[in-house]
Amino acid sequence: MRRTRTVCPFCGCGCSFYLLSEGDRVTGIEPSPLNPVNKGMLCVKGWNAHEFIHSPERLTTPLIRKHGSLVESTWDEALKVVADRFLDIKKQFGSRALAFLSSAKVTNEENYLFMKMARAAFGTNNVDHCARL
Amino acid sequence: MKTLAKKDLIKAMNIWAQKHDVLSPTKTAPGDCIFDTFREKTFTLDYKKPPLSPKAVFFPHSEVTFKVEKNEYREIVSAKKMLIFGLRACDMMGILQASSFMSRDRKDVYYNAKRNAATTIVMACPGPQNETCFCTTTRSGPVAQKGFDLQFYDVGDAFLIEIGTSRGEELLSAIPLADVDESQARRQIEEFKQKAIRSIPEVKSFIKAMNKLKDGKADEKIWDSFGQKCITCGGCAFVCPTCTCFNVYDHQSSPGNGLRARTWDACLYGGFTREASGHNPRASQALRLKRRHEHKLLHFNEIDIQGSLCGCVGCGRCSDYCPVHIGTLEVVKAIAE
Amino acid sequence: MVGLAATFGSGAMTNSINDFDGADLFLVIGSNTTSQHPLIGSRIINAVKRGAKLLLIDPREIQLAEFADLHLRHDIGTDVAVLNGIMNVIIEEGLDDKEFVETRTEGFDQLKDVVSKYPPRVVEKISGINSHDLKKAALMYAKADKAMLVYAMGITQHTTGVDNVKTCANLAMLTGHLGRPSTGVNPLRGQNNVQGACDMGALPNVYSGYQPVTDLAVKKKFEDAWGVAALNDKVGLTIIDMMIAAQKGGLKALYVMGENPLMSDPDTSHIEHALSNLDFLVVQDIFLSETAAKADVVLPAASFAEKEGTYTNTERRVQISGKAISSPGLARPDWQIICELSTLAGYPMNYKSPVDIMKDINAVTPSYAGITYERLERGYGLQWPCINEDHPGTPYLHKDKFSKGKGTFIPCEFKPVVEMPDEEYDFMLTTGRIYYQYHTGTMTRRTSILDREAPAALVEINPEDAKKLGIKNNEIVELTSRRGSIKLKAEITKRVPQNVVFSTFHFHESPVNILTSPAYDPIAKIPEYKGCAVKVRRCA
Repeated sequence: MRRTRTVCPFCGCGCSFYLLSEGDRVTGIEPSPLNPVNKGMLCVKGWNAHEFIHSPERLTTPLIRKHGSLVESTWDEALKVVADRFLDIKKQFGSRALAFLSSAKVTNEENYLFMKMARAAFGTNNVDHCARL
Repeated sequence: MKTLAKKDLIKAMNIWAQKHDVLSPTKTAPGDCIFDTFREKTFTLDYKKPPLSPKAVFFPHSEVTFKVEKNEYREIVSAKKMLIFGLRACDMMGILQASSFMSRDRKDVYYNAKRNAATTIVMACPGPQNETCFCTTTRSGPVAQKGFDLQFYDVGDAFLIEIGTSRGEELLSAIPLADVDESQARRQIEEFKQKAIRSIPEVKSFIKAMNKLKDGKADEKIWDSFGQKCITCGGCAFVCPTCTCFNVYDHQSSPGNGLRARTWDACLYGGFTREASGHNPRASQALRLKRRHEHKLLHFNEIDIQGSLCGCVGCGRCSDYCPVHIGTLEVVKAIAE
Repeated sequence: MVGLAATFGSGAMTNSINDFDGADLFLVIGSNTTSQHPLIGSRIINAVKRGAKLLLIDPREIQLAEFADLHLRHDIGTDVAVLNGIMNVIIEEGLDDKEFVETRTEGFDQLKDVVSKYPPRVVEKISGINSHDLKKAALMYAKADKAMLVYAMGITQHTTGVDNVKTCANLAMLTGHLGRPSTGVNPLRGQNNVQGACDMGALPNVYSGYQPVTDLAVKKKFEDAWGVAALNDKVGLTIIDMMIAAQKGGLKALYVMGENPLMSDPDTSHIEHALSNLDFLVVQDIFLSETAAKADVVLPAASFAEKEGTYTNTERRVQISGKAISSPGLARPDWQIICELSTLAGYPMNYKSPVDIMKDINAVTPSYAGITYERLERGYGLQWPCINEDHPGTPYLHKDKFSKGKGTFIPCEFKPVVEMPDEEYDFMLTTGRIYYQYHTGTMTRRTSILDREAPAALVEINPEDAKKLGIKNNEIVELTSRRGSIKLKAEITKRVPQNVVFSTFHFHESPVNILTSPAYDPIAKIPEYKGCAVKVRRCA
């Protein structure tokens, strides 16, 4: 059994809890008793934030659309397709033809890298996320 | 009677850890006290009751009960050899109550496999851990009466060791101990116990509330006012050492492959009692709160309570961790008034 | 955010969650707090129980209404008029904090001019709030020692969202409820890292720490830090503009990370058309969302449990989150995918871990300069601004002066909801979330207990309206707007006022954003989810 401190994936309160795990299976949630935000408490969503992680509907492999449908692929192939297509479109139409929609659900580090990639690698400021929604 | 010098505790823990998964009080990097796998660096004796009781060990918050792989059914009854070090008397009573319920008329194999593989070392409470402790009222502490394999009494630079079972006795065979005069030890334990009992005030409203519920004299309006502010988190049931309700769900990953799992459920959730027609016999949060507390204080099973007062073990967690202060202490106070 | 930035110089929640314990009064407007921010809602309930006052301004009778000393149920979208009316009374009664206004603010005369046009009897006509209650509300807020103004999407998701926010800020400045513990203007963020995504510059106009892309010194700084010859100095497209550009053909490729615009954005058929018009769509997510199903390439990402990183909550607290388990199958953390893709695109990124990335963030982002993993691991987070490693963080903003110096009153005139009900579309539809579900439901609908508690979309209809339309509880009704129609079950409840219906966007079976209005705030580009005209019909 292992306990790992995490931040609740739902609203903006930022409640902190420990995920209990056994191997690669999450087995429960224990709220952080001293965290100043939630002080050992959680709401119904926080207490139940463990189940969707193991949903059988999780994406587990890259997919590429071929002849109209999404088929399983490899990371090498999928990432190459993405890089090539973005570079092609940039070459043909300029960087303003590219856009990047970031996420209010991923980490700070990931948001930073995503906007850095849009700006430094692809030369566009077409970066936004769903704060407005 | 045997004693273990405090300075030898880590040595003993390390010895036990060779043959058990040892769960012990842990101070995390930011400062939370929780029970986690024993590590010398983060182990602490300066701890309070953590949000989760040890029921999470035998009855995990989320647990796979069987898997189907290529249409082959396989039950998952897992049991690791566990040692829980440092649980308190209230939690020991919680284990006794939950274990009784989980094996009284039908054995819950998942629970019992884990319970039977676990050894318990209770740390007798020297006094209240915080203002919500009331084990003396519910007759479930501060010292455990039964159920433990070993019980430790902190008497300064050593622990007096009370042996509860032969499994406990076996634990002692490999660690450095000293002998102490039996009658002197008994006296010390009695002193420890009396001092601890004196320091944990009796909650008179608790008894009064139980009686009022029994006589049907509790004011129904209190449930409305609690129901108004309950935010339906379910936390009171999850942190309760004696709550054992669960929900079952299936995950099918492909035809012929999948698993069934169970996860903690709470009687405070509306869907817990909602019928297929949509009708809900406990239609309001007020009724659900009433049912919950009546179950703990009035409709408990005499066998399940294991010689304590009722279905509440006085740990105070529901009062500690309810976001809007609807713990058992607040409820009995309102009933008694 | 834009609204607060214009008045104060910083767009974040001014105070802290722990401040709720010390306030004497809460003005909650446009926030169903117990449902959407339950662990903040519970603090408000506890505060009321210990004697604090609650002034609630909300068209719906939400759970907090049970605890309100005064509940103003104004007509949808009339927030500016109501708040201007409150300020009108405060100035008339001489209850404005003259010292605060004098020393800390500018533009008071303009404010006075505008709010003078909103005496209580005018506001009553616009909003339906009677003069007596409006005056009472004004006195309550102005006379409180420590008042916290709290709002959420009910304020921002209007075509007048920025005006609504500025007006909230005006009210707090006028009464000096700012720059002290347990006061302030407190927007509650809807997602666990909205604050962080903004802070990190996932916005078309700024880099991390709100440093403008148009500022040449900033541009130079990032060019040097990132080793790039020339960064783009023109403001990019917002999500709304992206969709318009895609529909018109100017935008060819879109990369979506962890979002589901097809469900979450207003006027779904417009979004669907825009996405299908793209040459190339990439979606990176943990589930095959409605949007991912349309993509050319789908990249499987790690969930929060499967990666290390930091998140910034609504009170600007940056907190660490660890990796508990490994990802299923080939799924990878988003940061690893980005590193690899960027490298393939000719701009190498060689970060070994999020700790490495944070060092970069520290170096280029002044407000995050002192927020290191080493410090985060040892405690419960740090609230920005945290300008160096010895800085303790900032529990409340604008203590002695505003981020921009003086706070600016920016008075706003009332403007109605763009699409008001008429003879044909005679109901106002307002939308939001419910307690048990979350956003487009990708996570909560895959959680058995949460989905059991709220298994299907409901539309709340007032009993009087239901009687007129012959609709019974739980019957299926059809909602139709100018953009489409959906069917869902009716919940007959006094929670909604007459002529208003409420529903949610969690359920793909009844996607309410098929109905919602594409109108949006001209500055913040936030859509008007909180109001559009619909008709309601009982299904045979």
